[in-house]
Amino acid sequence: MKTLLVIREQESAWLLDQFPGIHPLLVPICNKPFIEFLVDFAILAGSEALRIVSDGGLRDVELYCANGSRWGVEISYGNINPADDTYTVIEKNRRFCLKERIMIISGFLFIRYDKKSDYTSLFASLQSGELLRCPHGSISLTGDAASVISPAGTLPFSLVALDSIGKYYELSMEILRSGLNKYVLPGYSSEADCYIGRNVIIPKSAEIQKPVIIGNNVQLLANTVIHANSVIGSNVIIDRDSVISGSIVMDNTYIGEHLEVENKIAAGNLLIDPESGSSIIMEDPHLLTAMTPSRVAGTLLRRVVHTFAATILILIQLLPWLLLRPIVGMQGKWKRKREPYYTALAGKNVTLTSTYIESNGSLSTLAKTLALDRFSLLFKVLSGELALIGNKPVRVNASIRLLPNRVAGYRPAVFSYAEAEDWPEFCIDTEIVEHYYAVHSNPMKDISMTQKAIFHRTYQNHCT
Amino acid sequence: MNISEKTVNHYTILSLQGILNASSAPTLRNYIAGLPEAQSLVIDLEKIEFLDSSGLGALVGIARKKKSSSAVMKLARMNDRVKKVFEITQAYTLFDIYDDVSAAAEA
Repeated sequence: MKTLLVIREQESAWLLDQFPGIHPLLVPICNKPFIEFLVDFAILAGSEALRIVSDGGLRDVELYCANGSRWGVEISYGNINPADDTYTVIEKNRRFCLKERIMIISGFLFIRYDKKSDYTSLFASLQSGELLRCPHGSISLTGDAASVISPAGTLPFSLVALDSIGKYYELSMEILRSGLNKYVLPGYSSEADCYIGRNVIIPKSAEIQKPVIIGNNVQLLANTVIHANSVIGSNVIIDRDSVISGSIVMDNTYIGEHLEVENKIAAGNLLIDPESGSSIIMEDPHLLTAMTPSRVAGTLLRRVVHTFAATILILIQLLPWLLLRPIVGMQGKWKRKREPYYTALAGKNVTLTSTYIESNGSLSTLAKTLALDRFSLLFKVLSGELALIGNKPVRVNASIRLLPNRVAGYRPAVFSYAEAEDWPEFCIDTEIVEHYYAVHSNPMKDISMTQKAIFHRTYQNHCT
Repeated sequence: MNISEKTVNHYTILSLQGILNASSAPTLRNYIAGLPEAQSLVIDLEKIEFLDSSGLGALVGIARKKKSSSAVMKLARMNDRVKKVFEITQAYTLFDIYDDVSAAAEA
């Protein structure tokens, strides 16, 4: 048997709002990434291969699950469109679905199961068709059964639609209270209802009550109390005299001293109330903060190269700018606008003066050809607020759901990769080329791409 | 880059082999420009050894042209190298992608 897992971005979009930067399939439930529960169920049901298809990105999932060798199952990935129905999804994966019995798990669902049950024989004998349905998805089977036997009573698994932070919290608490022995959970368990990961530092003065799950690399400081029904993620520090009860502390979170976190979800500097769904961002890093690896080493060389190249460009453009700026300005063809833009750092913006030169005269065309409209922005490269080449800066807009600086690889710049590649600077086309270079660029390539961007401007202005 | 052509169910199937980059992208564009504008296409990418942003740009451009002339362009049998580029750039949102050429030509 094989399993086809169909995930639609829209169904899990709420999780991206709550935990930006984590793929919904990798959001941990009791310290175990959600996808692992689905992989476990597929294996228990007798699947030898699993294909994850989605209308959204699966890159992080692919990096995490790879080819599935660690579970002894073959995992592959595919793409669908949001409008594709089940028939189209199967057609798009015909080679995978051919000649095999397929279990289709469609929707952002959690499957309640018990690892001790024999699902392999059950799934081999179930008739094809829809097995279970809930408001946000279903499990169905295609292909012929080896020998059809009607299951006695209800099926030994059920579905939970993960559609809100409240459901996510409820599910985690349900597993903690009554399901710890039903699933394979990470961590060392020397006694029932207590799972503790690697490299956990617990002082003598700390108190831990069961049921509890603690991840890897966790430091509890003096007099901390972890009450029952708490989940502490990996890479977490809980500072002295703090009390955690009935709460979920997500990975990479620091909880300050003398704090009481009760029935909440703490994720980075975000504190979420699962009941109401409301959340607050803690501005004080001594209370609650995200612990992220430093990117200084990786970006230092790029910054040095960009600064050097920007200095040379400033020196080249200085004389033409001094000569042309006043004349074109007097002609009324030099237009400026100051607006706030997102920077590469989450929560920080920069005000940029964007210049527009009307190129309907010889001098203004020359100014545009020489990229003098970018002259003032080059100084932002020296101050480190912009890169020389990277993403087209995104204007601050309250209606944007996922902020660009919460997405890995966003680097606002004077020139964009789309300009360099001569791709149209609109819609998804710009994003495609910018995403490509977010992964494939390096400081030296950036220099050649800047040259290409300037060359294309010269060529375009010459042609027009 | 080598391009081989066959017809299945009113679809022209183009199998690409080799490298699709800045130097070979014009070859693909010119080849497709030689086909009727309203001809629907399936591009088989199984034997593509390398795809860069220019090659991707060519595929996006062809898809847009086909859409404007009410034809269809589908991609089939992406290998892991090609899939990786599509995943990084999120270009999969612009295409219908099949794991089987005949399924693409039937749908």
